[in-house]
Amino acid sequence: MKPGTRLKSAVCDTEVMVIRGGEGTVECGGAAMTEDGAKAGEPAADHQNGTLIGKRYVDSGGTVELLCVKAGKGSLALDGTPMATKDSKPLPASD
Amino acid sequence: MAKVMEGIKVLEVAQFTFVPAAGAVLADWGADVIKIEHPVRGDTQRGFLNMGGVQLDPQRHTLFEHPNRGKRSVGIDFTTAEGQDVLHELAKQCDVFLTNYLPQHRQKYKFDIEHIRAVNPDIIYARGSAWGDKGPEREKGGFDGTAFWSRSGIADCMTPEELEGPLSQGIQAFGDSIGGMFIAGGISAALFHRLRTGEAKELDVSLLSTATWAAGANMAQALETGIVTRNSMPRSGGSSRNPFMGNFRTSDGRTINLCIVSPTGLIEDTFQHVGRPEAAADPRFKDVLSLIEHADAASEILVQAFGEKSFDYWREQLRGMKGQWAPILTLIELAEEEQIKANDHILEVDAADGSDKPLKLSRSPVEWDHEPITATRSPQPSEHTELVLMEMGVEWDRIEQLKAAGAIA
Repeated sequence: MKPGTRLKSAVCDTEVMVIRGGEGTVECGGAAMTEDGAKAGEPAADHQNGTLIGKRYVDSGGTVELLCVKAGKGSLALDGTPMATKDSKPLPASD
Repeated sequence: MAKVMEGIKVLEVAQFTFVPAAGAVLADWGADVIKIEHPVRGDTQRGFLNMGGVQLDPQRHTLFEHPNRGKRSVGIDFTTAEGQDVLHELAKQCDVFLTNYLPQHRQKYKFDIEHIRAVNPDIIYARGSAWGDKGPEREKGGFDGTAFWSRSGIADCMTPEELEGPLSQGIQAFGDSIGGMFIAGGISAALFHRLRTGEAKELDVSLLSTATWAAGANMAQALETGIVTRNSMPRSGGSSRNPFMGNFRTSDGRTINLCIVSPTGLIEDTFQHVGRPEAAADPRFKDVLSLIEHADAASEILVQAFGEKSFDYWREQLRGMKGQWAPILTLIELAEEEQIKANDHILEVDAADGSDKPLKLSRSPVEWDHEPITATRSPQPSEHTELVLMEMGVEWDRIEQLKAAGAIA
């Protein structure tokens, strides 16, 4: 996985850009993502949490980082393990 | 639509609403606004949990969206030397540097004017502050609640003296949003000046200068006469001098505002439209000076008339009236008005929650060539770091090193 590579979901609209490449296979909706994005069915039932545009996704080891450039219905995983959004932790404020 | 700022690059190192709102206006006008955010925390504006008693949804964060639509976000930790280097590299390629960080922080983190001008002598340096960049309080922070509303005299003017204490600002980021437009205006003039003369200016707008300008008519009168004019208590009726100036309650408890400051030629038309043609013929109201003299009697006639019919009746009935009037509406009612739609006041952007339901935002106040402003959603924190840095000529290997060092995100 080379940084800068665009990967497309085989089962939904999701597209990601590889920010940090590592070992393993990136999956979306339970199916491996590819550069050509050939479609192969629907997201698996337990892989439908969806992706959000502009969000970064990382694996638990922090080896792979993806930037979602197009949202879709499938959820992202690395070798079967779900990836999580890398969220900012803003300081709490209130009026 | 006309993107009058197309090709202009703005580097925004700012938080909350006031100064980011200036970036939002410039983005509405087509500028490429690069917002620098802390790699971990992001803009503190993102952390607002509640506003006006309403809990905010972090994925549909309207308070963040309003002043940040149309921008790109780059995560840089400018407390690190490497982060400062990256910031300077970006500044080299930008036309405008926009910040609301306090002077001592601009110094400490090396993005004060001399640091930025050292790498780009032609950059316009725009500062927003609470109290101004000169004087004993230049290092003190503030918000519009303190600087624009409270200390400025505006809270005092807005509050009827009969009330126990001053009214609060009531509208989120009210002074911020006004002041942001002022900064955008200043930046526009600075860009024009640079084009004509080659000279890059620095400029300041404070929340206090926003207030003293917005309240300038009252300020001038107060300084001239020694009298501060303040709001009066709400009631149905005209003013004690001009009966055609005031709020009038309808039969269903809503309000019609009359604002006929110059009633010449409008007296008969006004009385006719409120269904009191006999008053139009009354010699007490034959001209403006006698109307003023008999203001109480005229006001009483209007109070009675408005009180007999509903709000909807009056909205229809007064359509053809020559004098100036308005219904008192809520923000939600306003958004449904034909007039506001015809003038494209509300624009839509995608929400971060991935739903099909867009966020509806006020467009910035200037419309170009009668064409609606279009905007894109606000960025996720650090969404565009790699993209912007690569555009600016930073090699991927260095991006990885900077990321590993925690200088960017």
